[in-house]
Amino acid sequence: MIPETRQKTRVVASVVASLLTSALVTLGAAGVSAGAAASSGKVQTVHYWYWEDDPAVPTVPDLISKFNATHPGIHVVGQLVPFNSYQQKLTDAVAAGDAPDAARFKDWWLGEYAHKHLLVSLTPDIHKWTFASDVVSKYWDTGRTSPTSPVYMLPDEYITFYLYYRKDWFAAAHLSPPRTFSQFVTDAKKLTDPARHRYGFAMRGGGGGQDQWYAFLAAGGARLVNRHGQVVANSPKAIAVNQWYIDLVRKYHVAPPTAVSDSYPQLIADFEAGETAMMAHHIGSYTILKDALGNKLGVVPMPQANPSHPGTMGTMTGNVIFRSSPVQQAAWTFISWLSSPYAINILDHSPNAELPILKSVVDEPYFQKNPFWKVALDEEKYAHDWPPLPGVAAVSGHVWERTMDQALLGQITSRQMMDTIAATLKGK
Amino acid sequence: MSTVSSRPAGRARRLRPLWYLMPAAVVVLGIIGYPVVRAIGFSFFHYNPLDVTGAHVRFVGLSNYLRALTNPGFQHAAVNSVIWIFGVVTVQFLLGLMGAVILNQRFRGRDVVRGLVLIPWATPSVLAAMMWMWILDGNYGVLNDLLHRVGLGFLAQPWFSQPGTALGSLMLIDVWQGIPFFAVMLLAAMQTIPGELLEAARLDRASAWRTFWAIKLPIIAPTVMITTLLRIVWTASYMDLILIITQGGPGYATLTVPADAYYTAYTDFAFGRAGAMAVIQALVLLGVVLAYLRLLSRQGILDA
Repeated sequence: MIPETRQKTRVVASVVASLLTSALVTLGAAGVSAGAAASSGKVQTVHYWYWEDDPAVPTVPDLISKFNATHPGIHVVGQLVPFNSYQQKLTDAVAAGDAPDAARFKDWWLGEYAHKHLLVSLTPDIHKWTFASDVVSKYWDTGRTSPTSPVYMLPDEYITFYLYYRKDWFAAAHLSPPRTFSQFVTDAKKLTDPARHRYGFAMRGGGGGQDQWYAFLAAGGARLVNRHGQVVANSPKAIAVNQWYIDLVRKYHVAPPTAVSDSYPQLIADFEAGETAMMAHHIGSYTILKDALGNKLGVVPMPQANPSHPGTMGTMTGNVIFRSSPVQQAAWTFISWLSSPYAINILDHSPNAELPILKSVVDEPYFQKNPFWKVALDEEKYAHDWPPLPGVAAVSGHVWERTMDQALLGQITSRQMMDTIAATLKGK
Repeated sequence: MSTVSSRPAGRARRLRPLWYLMPAAVVVLGIIGYPVVRAIGFSFFHYNPLDVTGAHVRFVGLSNYLRALTNPGFQHAAVNSVIWIFGVVTVQFLLGLMGAVILNQRFRGRDVVRGLVLIPWATPSVLAAMMWMWILDGNYGVLNDLLHRVGLGFLAQPWFSQPGTALGSLMLIDVWQGIPFFAVMLLAAMQTIPGELLEAARLDRASAWRTFWAIKLPIIAPTVMITTLLRIVWTASYMDLILIITQGGPGYATLTVPADAYYTAYTDFAFGRAGAMAVIQALVLLGVVLAYLRLLSRQGILDA
């Protein structure tokens, strides 16, 4: 028989153990290594991580199968990782010494990873690459951390933000789609009727809304960094444009009351269901919106504060190779094949399509004759990418959302929001 | 002679269970113990997990703790955690107890109902989150639609978009998920109550309330204690709903300490500060639970 005090002690001890365990195990587990990637024999195995915008359409697995079938010396093993947990899982894998050989990558993360010397410089291979001269020249900068740095990310798909609008609503209200900020506000106000659950603009204040916000910031003439790479996110111009964006909710009331927390699913559902008249997004949602709205769907470039100096947001999805990889050359063979005309054509004709990065593909009639592609491609000339700073990962991860929410709720000013973002970009 | 030879044999016999336990102990220490110790270690260092060479790892003493404790975001998160833990567990317990009492009655279809009530508990968090996101959606949510249909449209709200309703909405979902756990555990405890005691109470014409208070509750008290403790610990660390539905927003309205630690670790890449946050929560929880245990011990519940 166990004495009473010992029994109590054991109960307490078990509770203590479970408490410490539950609170700490998730974080600490990140440090447990699971082994390293390996290759053996003459066939080199490349472990590749990717996400799909629409995982139900297996575009990347199909590409991997085609690559494996035509490259007998290399076997690519694809690992689909949901985008929402992609950054976390990649961080865990790197910390555990178990990074993949190659991975699909966003320019948001480039600063943090490249500055930690985790990525292979692709510049020597790019010099020898057949299709290097076919890449839209501006896109090389999306894979660099500075204008003179090596290229760490091979471009694969690009997006620019433009404005979807409901043609039928605009026609009924005898309005033209907006070209300027002032027209945008005027149209949005006229199309807003809360009694009918109709709002002029689908603002994305929730997760992932930083791209939409940055598109309006750039269209308003504000910049996150200047031409010298210095952070100017809290310049008077940026604060003023941000205030204009906040006013869409707080002053003009042209967005649904859920705007502060709306994310992509709500944005699409509201637009499809006739709750909102305008939505800033990119070519990635074209297929789903066209299927839902047919000829009621229209598109124009982002409205501008000053149309003579246009701007919008652009962001690149590319591929990187990790320095820890023992099969870097095989990984290069694979990711360079992914950016070849053959693979780009397959990818950009799929429901997971974004803008092609090769001039030869861009010029194809499929992309030039469809206004939704054409408008997006034309915007490429003045699109501003996220700066390759380490702080961008934190801004896009949670800082923007937290401060935007507070600004939309009136808890902080535009200046306080932009000061926080500027400090984060500076790594403070 | 026989005494001398039996001593090693007796010792070996006593040690044998330890050998049997060793594989499990090694697994537990390796998979759980090591990460826990490492997380505590992180909390005293400036540590970016992407710094794989360790070139920039440096000992910072208690500065991660000081920085966390003086950070307004963490302070918001700490207050939210208190509301989240005690709000959720209290309501889950009360409704779970009611459910257990009802399920302990004899009625037609009881076995089927007992199975069905487990559905929320068995529903994966992601699925539950997606389901409730659309039920409570501010524009097309089922709840708002029902309110409009019954003439209570003025009560319709953008539930997840307002600081005043967002945390409560998340708590509602977690309560819905957790009630079956309490109900089933307490039901199991109630079924151990000897029938003679209940029969004696009935003969003494004790009311249902008196029977519950004087007979049933003391007997199920140890189960109440341990299930409540478990739920406090689980609820404190649970952040799936928050990450999926609100990401801690709007603003800091639904940010709890584990969620704050998660974002600090994976978007700020500040594992040291995130570790400090986790350790602070663990220590506070430890204090609460030890006080709780002491209180129960004084009342003799641990002696049952």
